[in-house]
Amino acid sequence: MAECVRLDSSTSSHTMDKSITLPPDEIFRNLENAKRFAIDIGGSLTKLAYYSTVQHKVAKVRSFDHATKEAASDKLYEISVQEEVTARLHFIKFENAYIETCLDFIKDHLVNTDTKVIKATGGGAHKFKELIERKLGLKVDKEDEMTCLIKGCNFVLRNIPHEAFVYAKHADSEFRFQTTQPDIFPYLLVNIGSGVSIVKVESEDKFERIGGSSIGGGTFWGLGALLTKTKRFDELLQLASKGQHTSVDMLVKDIYGGSYGSLGLTGDLIASSFGKSATADKEFSKEDMAKSLLHMISNDIGQLACLYAKLHNLSRVYFGGFFIRGHPVTMHTITYSINFFTKGEVQALFLRHEGYLGAIGAFLKGAEEDNPNQYSWGENYAGSSGLMSVSPDMNPMQRARSGTFDMLEMDRLERQLVNLPLLQDPSSYIPDTMDLTEDALAREYWLYCFEEALDGVVKRAVASQPDMPEAAQRAEKFRQKYRHKLQTLRQQPFAYGSLTVRSLLDTREHCLNEFNFPDPYSKIKQKENDMALKYYQKAVKSLEELSWEQRQFALVRGVLAGNVFDWGAKAVSDVLESDPEFGFEEAKRQLEERPWLVDSYDQWFERLKGPPHKCALFFVDNSGVDIILGVMPFVRELLSRGTEVVLASNSGPALNDVTNGELQILTERIAAMDPVIQAGLREDRLMLVQSGSSSPCLDLSRLDKVLAMVVRERQTDLVIIEGMGRAIHTNYYAMLSCESLKMAVIKNSWLADRLGGKLFSVVFKYEVPAGKPSQHSAALSPL
Amino acid sequence: YNVHSGTEISHTMDKSITLPPDEIFRNLENAKRFAIDIGGSLTKLAYYSTVQHKVAKVRSFDHATKVNRDDKLYEISVQEEVTARLHFIKFENAYIETCLDFIKDHLVNTDTKVIKATGGGAHKFKELIERKLGLKVDKEDEMTCLIKGCNFVLRNIPHEAFVYAKHADSEFRFQTTQPDIFPYLLVNIGSGVSIVKVESEDKFERIGGSSIGGGTFWGLGALLTKTKRFDELLQLASKGQHTSVDMLVKDIYGGSYGSLGLTGDLIASSFGKSATADKEFSKEDMAKSLLHMISNDIGQLACLYAKLHNLSRVYFGGFFIRGHPVTMHTITYSINFFTKGEVQALFLRHEGYLGAIGAFLKGAEEDNPNQYSWGENYAGSSGLMSVSPDMNPMQRARSGTFDMLEMDRLERQLVNLPLLQDPSSYIPDTMDLTEDALAREYWLYCFEEALDGVVKRAVASQPDMPEAAQRAEKFRQKYRHKLQTLRQQPL
Repeated sequence: MAECVRLDSSTSSHTMDKSITLPPDEIFRNLENAKRFAIDIGGSLTKLAYYSTVQHKVAKVRSFDHATKEAASDKLYEISVQEEVTARLHFIKFENAYIETCLDFIKDHLVNTDTKVIKATGGGAHKFKELIERKLGLKVDKEDEMTCLIKGCNFVLRNIPHEAFVYAKHADSEFRFQTTQPDIFPYLLVNIGSGVSIVKVESEDKFERIGGSSIGGGTFWGLGALLTKTKRFDELLQLASKGQHTSVDMLVKDIYGGSYGSLGLTGDLIASSFGKSATADKEFSKEDMAKSLLHMISNDIGQLACLYAKLHNLSRVYFGGFFIRGHPVTMHTITYSINFFTKGEVQALFLRHEGYLGAIGAFLKGAEEDNPNQYSWGENYAGSSGLMSVSPDMNPMQRARSGTFDMLEMDRLERQLVNLPLLQDPSSYIPDTMDLTEDALAREYWLYCFEEALDGVVKRAVASQPDMPEAAQRAEKFRQKYRHKLQTLRQQPFAYGSLTVRSLLDTREHCLNEFNFPDPYSKIKQKENDMALKYYQKAVKSLEELSWEQRQFALVRGVLAGNVFDWGAKAVSDVLESDPEFGFEEAKRQLEERPWLVDSYDQWFERLKGPPHKCALFFVDNSGVDIILGVMPFVRELLSRGTEVVLASNSGPALNDVTNGELQILTERIAAMDPVIQAGLREDRLMLVQSGSSSPCLDLSRLDKVLAMVVRERQTDLVIIEGMGRAIHTNYYAMLSCESLKMAVIKNSWLADRLGGKLFSVVFKYEVPAGKPSQHSAALSPL
Repeated sequence: YNVHSGTEISHTMDKSITLPPDEIFRNLENAKRFAIDIGGSLTKLAYYSTVQHKVAKVRSFDHATKVNRDDKLYEISVQEEVTARLHFIKFENAYIETCLDFIKDHLVNTDTKVIKATGGGAHKFKELIERKLGLKVDKEDEMTCLIKGCNFVLRNIPHEAFVYAKHADSEFRFQTTQPDIFPYLLVNIGSGVSIVKVESEDKFERIGGSSIGGGTFWGLGALLTKTKRFDELLQLASKGQHTSVDMLVKDIYGGSYGSLGLTGDLIASSFGKSATADKEFSKEDMAKSLLHMISNDIGQLACLYAKLHNLSRVYFGGFFIRGHPVTMHTITYSINFFTKGEVQALFLRHEGYLGAIGAFLKGAEEDNPNQYSWGENYAGSSGLMSVSPDMNPMQRARSGTFDMLEMDRLERQLVNLPLLQDPSSYIPDTMDLTEDALAREYWLYCFEEALDGVVKRAVASQPDMPEAAQRAEKFRQKYRHKLQTLRQQPL
């Protein structure tokens, strides 16, 4: 295996040497199985896309066949690591100067010989056609540029949650990400290349170029070059960012001495771009002229975009093209212009992966027979470079990287993901409670926290594969990669959209998977599940002995106490690791006494006196004590009340969270001991479904399609969300259209402090949507 | 004396020039209500005056008392009558001081205390005007004056608005006056651009604007070509080829971009070629590209605002447009392109006077000028000049001098015959001699031929006035000059 040479490490990044040695491990990943190539060659950058399959290890659980192997082992179930093949899309962006080297590299590493054609788009496709065909031996098949652009845009808007953002130069956080809208159409795309194209997109296949302008990026570049003798686009932008437009432009106050009040024109408004250079007999600085030119062009495009948006009644306007691409200066002036012309009614939106749209679209055109639009895709944080700040003031180091390689990888998800049908307003739903991009203090804490925990995670990963000697080496690679991600995020918190505790957790999971640690907690979970099961009947029996009233409270305390068992929380993993005997009863004693930090138990209790719920959807958290001794007795009570229960658990592993596979086995074992659970399963009143997620957190806008269907069919009227990851880091403020119950124990002192509580404070949040009184209070109301 | 005929004088900027009072500041003795609009380069002066002139009256004899004292059917008498006239004079700012001195010397009426002023230059010349004329300068809002003036000319001057067509038989195609002039869009292209929606006499709103206007053409043009004069920049532009500087659709795609409906010759990126090409571009080509860029942009904005506000009449004015066929052509082209002919770019014959007319009307509100009908006095007005450099290079000289508009107040208010089937499409004249060159030639010849007879008849009509022959000779000269002008500029 060749030692990887990172191009972004200082020295090599500045050279444009075409004979540069490519770092294959890092750049053209999984090329061996690549098929369906597409290429988008722009004026200066080439974007290459290909589809590949990735073999990686997954942990599977399987029940022992009790009939044949009696106590073959004392284990509850069998854990096996299997190879699984998943689909991944790779997108790589590099300077046109590297094209030949890259093509050679691809030729040498391409094994799959089925590929006959490469889809191509972009202005440069024509120029490099012959080279590509000669080097790769593939036929270049040109695709319409605009069609590719729109296809790519639809794809990223649909599949990447924090794709679009608002730019605010002077805000705490430069980028403000937008949540994905359930319906992305209609929208306006303003593509600012040499000229400007204004395209109205109405559906997947319907778009129309409703306008355009010849005053675009080429005009800035062309006029700028003539005025300043500066031939490089980036340098022109640099000049502009240092200039003062007021020395060149004629302002309203230059004509009227102040504002023109009766027309509502402020004194500082530009009355005439370059108006002062008409009569003044002086020399103007390059910086000032470049700035004036930038303002002139940005304002003009902004105004045109607003007029077309108004004329076609569109409120979402995305800007792209090389004029915009990663340039804070142009994003700022365009944003300013849009705000000015629409008085805030329309927001200028930019896209994280704007540069890839054409390549993505060309790829999708070629992959139509694979039906890529039928699947859900997720950005792989381990393989993607993330958005970089190229603001020269902010981080001058970063500019160097733009000269190298940028990557985006998208994993095809096994299941199609959709919104939870019970969200009150899907378009305003934001899963994350805290936006670490905007909250500098919180960001600092959590980045520190994740870095601190890294050693433990590495240790755990190695320990999970005792019979694999190279595990330590892989774990070390994981450590480096994740630490590097954390460092990147410290510099550019916006690299993957809004930085949240969830994205930090998910990135860690992606990196672990990347180095074949599919489920470091599998053995621990197995052991804990086994121990907890032994205590199940006793726990149920002691609950049965309580009065109805006492039992309801004991059940809630049980869920909360069970939730203390969490390897994801630092305070707890320390205790668990040092004292594995830390028991359920001990946990109950640790719990905060009522009144809890958030306490609507009385309302919940009143509600329980009313008629049973039709169906409860329960998002579960940890394996072991949590699921078996906390959640299952609670479920049992719901079933006894006549409420159907849908248990939603993770599709894939994350920390010690119980997976759907594990829960299947556990439930069967419990059913064998407990007639209530058994009847529930038999009568189909207890259902186990997978959430579609492999995260310790929960995004209610990306859930398994089957889950959504079940929720709808069963007329679910209660949603229970358990645990810190799902009910506090995410969904704390989620508004549902039915009753909801959020239960968690705060196992992080910093967070407890933030919320005004202390370690092991309890959040018990029972909510009834406004205008939908609970059954009980309805009975009490006079009408 | 006549500046119009002397080419040498018109080129000098000598402020001590002797003004031709008979021709320029007519009826100054009775002038009152002054208004002045001072722009970046031109000053427009307006005043109201009364004109004494002779009218022929007829009267029936009193049959009861005077029987057959004469064998005539009725009595004819010539009486003096006083009518109101509005005078508008346009001259270069360089002449302001001389003009003010002249006015001071000839102003008899001492009731006038105030002069209404508007335009960007009003501020600059305020002190000078107050000192020279002893009048208080009363500033009026520029946009209000512009709109008031625009409403006035649209209502009172039948062939005020025209469409410009560079390659047609007749460069200008005049529009008939609409019975209802509202609503309309006025796009005023000065240094910047103001886009104003006018809904009624008193209701207008600046719905948009742009900083890319005449000042941008001038300013960027000066930086690119080192040519400091606006007119010269336009001259350069009219000789240039924009295709060497602009990136066309075919430069990118090798031809048209069919699926998007973009033809190959369409400009994809203004100045797009100068971004990467390492060559020198000619001044002419850069000026042309700049002119296209700015005209197209304004045309597009105007169309979008017109569509958004559902307006079909769009008038263009401001110094960028003022009498410049090059800019009228590019604006017209742009409007046609963006609206596919749905909206026509309209220009105004007296566009340059709008501010002055408006300022004057603001000051004359107690005289209720809007209650009367007014008619252009062809004898006192200079008329629209073609400044197309190819068409009549001689004419350019005149723009350096004085231009006049006179409007007579009509005794009676004039309205449409209520029986007209469609007042908005009614055209009184059967033949349009501007468009029919053959007919025009014949009739101009015909009227010139008939002139001797008319002069003879005029002299004979006043047998007891010895100076009648002299006046008739002046008439002959003036009318012949008008006929000559019309041969050159049928518009």
